[in-house]
Amino acid sequence: MPIDMIVNGEAKQSAADPMTPLVDVLRDEFHLTGAKPVCREGFCGACTVLVDGEPRAACLTPAGLAQGREIGTVEGLSAGGRLNPVQASLVEHDAVQCGMCFPGMVVTLTHFLAQTPRPSRDQVRAALTGNACRCTGYERIVAAALDVAGA
Amino acid sequence: MTASPSFYAASSLPAALDALAECGAEGAPLAGGTWIMRAPIRHEPLKPIYVGLGGVPELTRIEETDGALAIGAGVTHSALGEAIAGRPELRVLAEAAGRSANPAIRRAATLGGNLCTADFAAADLVPALLCLDAEVEIAARGGTERLPLAAFLDLRQSLEPGRLLTRVLVPRSAAFSAHARLPLRKAGDYPTAIVSLSITRDAAGRIAQARIAVGSVETVARRWTRLEAALAGAPLDAEAAHHMATELADEFVGRDGVEAPGWYRVSVLPVLVRRAVIALH
Repeated sequence: MPIDMIVNGEAKQSAADPMTPLVDVLRDEFHLTGAKPVCREGFCGACTVLVDGEPRAACLTPAGLAQGREIGTVEGLSAGGRLNPVQASLVEHDAVQCGMCFPGMVVTLTHFLAQTPRPSRDQVRAALTGNACRCTGYERIVAAALDVAGA
Repeated sequence: MTASPSFYAASSLPAALDALAECGAEGAPLAGGTWIMRAPIRHEPLKPIYVGLGGVPELTRIEETDGALAIGAGVTHSALGEAIAGRPELRVLAEAAGRSANPAIRRAATLGGNLCTADFAAADLVPALLCLDAEVEIAARGGTERLPLAAFLDLRQSLEPGRLLTRVLVPRSAAFSAHARLPLRKAGDYPTAIVSLSITRDAAGRIAQARIAVGSVETVARRWTRLEAALAGAPLDAEAAHHMATELADEFVGRDGVEAPGWYRVSVLPVLVRRAVIALH
């Protein structure tokens, strides 16, 4: 049975087995390769996407649970070729190193800053608990997030 | 049953119970999926059929009933943490729900999944609910039964197919509670040990009753009844509690794991007891 979902505002249909991880459907069927399957255990956050507007680990989300849901990926956050404020701030702070964690960082921080417009440093750090940067570039990432918030 | 070969999204509780009964041993419930989806990494086979519970509205309710807070098994960790914030008697549960794993996992992982995942020794909600004297409701086509959480933990691997944990009941109380956990990093990984504590005080401010549960040290969380008895009638004092816990900790046999050896899990228990008592103030 095909799985219907809205991906970045566009109606999509997947033929995948319903227990297929959503990240594989997004990458292999829909060719949205921003979300990265890295740990596949929900620890690293590189596969973070929005499900009905909320960040989720796409590696642990079965495609069957995406039926009828709105999925947002990092590609949808820079629609029209313009970086969103989080992305622009990360560039400004030269925070991007190997890039593996960044799609997840951007999705998590974009949602977090919309919910918490003036966060403390500790709140930013807590929000990034599930996004591991293997280059350990956290200081610049946190600084970029605080800069977006005008803190 | 009009199910796809491997996933059936139930839209009501009766439909879910029917589907589980018809699938028998071939089927299993799937809520947030955060544990089941890692079966390939654990080299475990998936079940032939999963019954999706995400569309069952009965399972996501939180309501006050007959002297208890009834929490639907499909309530996520993040929804639970938000719903009970600011209640001192439930602080242990709010902290367990609000600080386990990481934000994205807390938005998906459910209360029911946390209690039903028998292989998950580091589950935070289990000791939190043990110290709150919680009961669970198990539903099947034929009816519903209620049993203490500790009894459910013993039974959970041998429950007949077709049975589903639907609600957790937390009795109302005037206790104060706290949850002390020790992940190796500050947050985001599994706690090596957990101490959940709920205490009522007498008029003189001494401990009237202490309920303490220990998680992640052994394979299944359990109450620390010897320490509870030792604390009853004592002043609420973190150093004294630390001392008593040190004396009594040898009853635990810690489980070895890649992240920590068994002896280490036991050795941090007195410190976690002290932290939990300090957090009550």
